[in-house]
Amino acid sequence: MSVKYVPVQWNRNKWIYDAVLLACVVGYAWIFLKLGAPAAGATRPVDDAVLRMRAFGSCAFLMLSLILCIGPLARLDARFLPLLYNRRHFGVLAALVALTHAVAVLDWYYAFSPTPPLQALLSANTSFGRALGFPFETFGIFALIVLGVLAATSHDFWLGFLSPPVWKALHLLIYPAYGAVVAHVALGYFQDVDNPGFALVFGGAALAVAGLHLAAARAGAPVAADPADWLPVARWDAIPDGRAIIVRLSVDEAAAVFRNGATLSAVSNACAHQSGPLGEGRILDGCITCPWHGFQYRPEDGRAPAPFTERIPTYRLRLDGAVVMLDRRANPPGTAVTPLALPVTA
Amino acid sequence: MAAVIIDAVRVYLIAGGGVAAVFLCWGVGRIEANARDAFAFRPLIAPGVVLLWPLVLWRWRVVLRGEDGGARHRPPRRAQDRIAVALALALPLVLTLGVLVRQNGPLERAPVRLAAPEIAR
Repeated sequence: MSVKYVPVQWNRNKWIYDAVLLACVVGYAWIFLKLGAPAAGATRPVDDAVLRMRAFGSCAFLMLSLILCIGPLARLDARFLPLLYNRRHFGVLAALVALTHAVAVLDWYYAFSPTPPLQALLSANTSFGRALGFPFETFGIFALIVLGVLAATSHDFWLGFLSPPVWKALHLLIYPAYGAVVAHVALGYFQDVDNPGFALVFGGAALAVAGLHLAAARAGAPVAADPADWLPVARWDAIPDGRAIIVRLSVDEAAAVFRNGATLSAVSNACAHQSGPLGEGRILDGCITCPWHGFQYRPEDGRAPAPFTERIPTYRLRLDGAVVMLDRRANPPGTAVTPLALPVTA
Repeated sequence: MAAVIIDAVRVYLIAGGGVAAVFLCWGVGRIEANARDAFAFRPLIAPGVVLLWPLVLWRWRVVLRGEDGGARHRPPRRAQDRIAVALALALPLVLTLGVLVRQNGPLERAPVRLAAPEIAR
């Protein structure tokens, strides 16, 4: 949280997460080289170097697809929330795997080029005017640059220094990068492989990313425009103890109404750290805990417990019968609001 | 053209290296409280400074002038929803194109055997 920056905030869970990730990457490469590649039925014989670059290339593609699926999956079903934890290490590892693929390509196809490898890569095929034979490497180069930038700016420092809106806008580049990766695969690898199973795996992964994002966008649609300041949220007994209900106030703003035993409190749904969805977290040790990186806030005033200094906006609540009403006008970050007492003895 | 692009990138990265040296040794501790007396993390952010040095210079100036008034608690969800729609439209299109343009795909014209050229006698 707001303490001196360190290179990586390691803990036991992150070690386990990263160890599992590494094991999966090594396992995938081994399976691809031993079992998957011969089944691909390439139209031309391929050698070991080509197989290796395809193993890392396909691994990076599938990792990227999985990374992009985690966000909407967690939004649609809370059981996927643990996958969100430490997702940035997942992204950095995907960038490294993609870089390995690119280095393997340069070291093989352009190893004996009379011009420097990078120059040869950019000038070998300039048929930008046609689909068949399009220089698909261009898409890969663009995606690799974006992945590099995102990995290089994944440290907490960047979020604070760039400010959340700028950092978030920068990291939204992952979507055009993913589109470029799909084009890279469709106009590259798709052209050579004969086994439809491989095309189905890659196509299915890309369509899953698109479909899940659409479903999550529909599920998170804002409440109907209402000029009134007070909005109905839900019946108070529909909010599980220690958890929250998220209220979408507008396209850009959401509040999270938490139940803490016999009281309710409402805060902004965006964590001050990386705008993580606080409403998908829970109350631990009396504090609202972000599901992404564990940043904590007191429900009654939206302030991180000392010695931390983060603050988030709070909202006023009242009861209308059994229905919780929320004042859509946010209080300034860190404003104390008396928790709403519930008619229960919990 | 390729050589020009690579030279331009090289110049850009060299300039980024200069900015990174000044920013990481001198600037970052002055504008970011959590970076004061914290040195181990600085090599980790160096690649980002080299890659994004114009953005770094702009933000450095904004922070120094106290002009930073971002909507911190309103992440740009609007863009996220538009991107979801764009992905749903673009990805199937790209995949379909990739399958259709294959050399042995459904749009491929039947091969034509070329006749041997007539040799004038």
